[in-house]
Amino acid sequence: MTTMRPLLFTIFTKTKPFQCLRKTSLHQIRNSSYESSKFLVDVEVSTKYEATKIPEEWKYVERILPPTLVPEPQPLPEYQSGWKPQGDHKDSPYFVERSRNHMMPVYLDVRQRGVKRHTIIKKIQGDIWLFEKDLRTFLEDLIKPKPLRLQVNEFARKICINGDHVNAIKYWLGEKNF
Amino acid sequence: MGSNTTEKALSMLRFLPRVCLSNIRPHPNSRIRDKRGRGQHGGDKHGCGNKGSGQRQNYMRLGYETGNNPFYLRFPHEPYYQRHHLRREYPPVSLLQLLKFIELNRIDHTKPIDLVSVVNTGLYKLLPDQRQYGIQLTDEGADVFNLKINIEVQYATEVVIAAIEKAGGVITTAYYDQHSLQCMLNTKKFFERGVPIPKRMMPPPDAIEYYSDPAKRGYLADPDKISEERLVLAQKYGYSLPEIEKDPSYDMLTERKDPRQIFYGLHPGWVVNLRDKAILKPQDEELLKYYAN
Repeated sequence: MTTMRPLLFTIFTKTKPFQCLRKTSLHQIRNSSYESSKFLVDVEVSTKYEATKIPEEWKYVERILPPTLVPEPQPLPEYQSGWKPQGDHKDSPYFVERSRNHMMPVYLDVRQRGVKRHTIIKKIQGDIWLFEKDLRTFLEDLIKPKPLRLQVNEFARKICINGDHVNAIKYWLGEKNF
Repeated sequence: MGSNTTEKALSMLRFLPRVCLSNIRPHPNSRIRDKRGRGQHGGDKHGCGNKGSGQRQNYMRLGYETGNNPFYLRFPHEPYYQRHHLRREYPPVSLLQLLKFIELNRIDHTKPIDLVSVVNTGLYKLLPDQRQYGIQLTDEGADVFNLKINIEVQYATEVVIAAIEKAGGVITTAYYDQHSLQCMLNTKKFFERGVPIPKRMMPPPDAIEYYSDPAKRGYLADPDKISEERLVLAQKYGYSLPEIEKDPSYDMLTERKDPRQIFYGLHPGWVVNLRDKAILKPQDEELLKYYAN
């Protein structure tokens, strides 16, 4: 390995000439950066290498590059994983939009270093008060002896509920095809 | 004289601006605070209360009972948790989660699936610096899993292996060292660095047994013994093993990485140039020798 080091160094040292950076006087030079380092010198690459452009090999590179956009879900007759696409809601007085990842916008918020748990529903469109009324009847049934503590933020289109009811609310939304 | 002054003052008033909030002065000798504190305590407590851990943000470590003999030391020690903070960690991904990734088009199941494709979904975060050495596939959703896939994970249980092989798929367990994992986290970022793909290291002594075990579908195990074990598992769980040899996607199902390889189809030592869409391959004999073994 000791013999390898200078060899590897010669390959990976930047071959950009330093002089061209100095000429632009208005350009701010940050000496802390590797690009503008004073010690960066032009090094001749003595290691033999071959530059290839083979489409078959490049396919493997493209395969592992991370995608830049969130893809659309597959249109399937039946989904095995429990995920469902959103139904049509033209006549409904309220609507819960899906997140950019095609998921329901129901989140668990753990506050006070794990002491308190809150469920937050986001992206509620339309009549949020009617939505709250429907949700209240479902949740009050679920946590019967306890009172339901729920806060509606009409402006931010959010509802915050005391306690962890994420899965229950996701199930309820799924039943309503949201 | 007096009337003259009044008239002058009145005529001056006509040209002066009206009295408003912007041009009145405070009372003489009145106390002026230069800061307007927010909140109950004028902002001096920053919402953290008075005294103690809350204010100083130095919470007690887990298990500490303020001077009591702590619970975890009160009884004879439990050695199975020894060195737990140094052990390798394989955070779980369930079969149901994998199915969801495939159904949401995050993973292409017509190509071999490995750690890179799971990380590239953007829905899964791996932290190798916290001793996470890859993923383990868990059995949640084993009953509904029905896709033919070629998957490579770092740890899998017997039920998971059976579920995948019953559906006609192939599973391999493979080890990646820290440097390889760092390359796999964000491949675009890694290629932009202009560094050659490193060679994958062999597993450490305590993991080599697992990864050369055909029952665990280790990547260092003998392929003949693995096919034997596939039959044994099919008999144990009572399903007929689908024949891979006659499958139309035979090439996909039999695609494997070399034990020294990190990415499919790309060899260690190669430098990928994303801008020119070129791959630089070393020709130096010493380098070739280094990357070959």
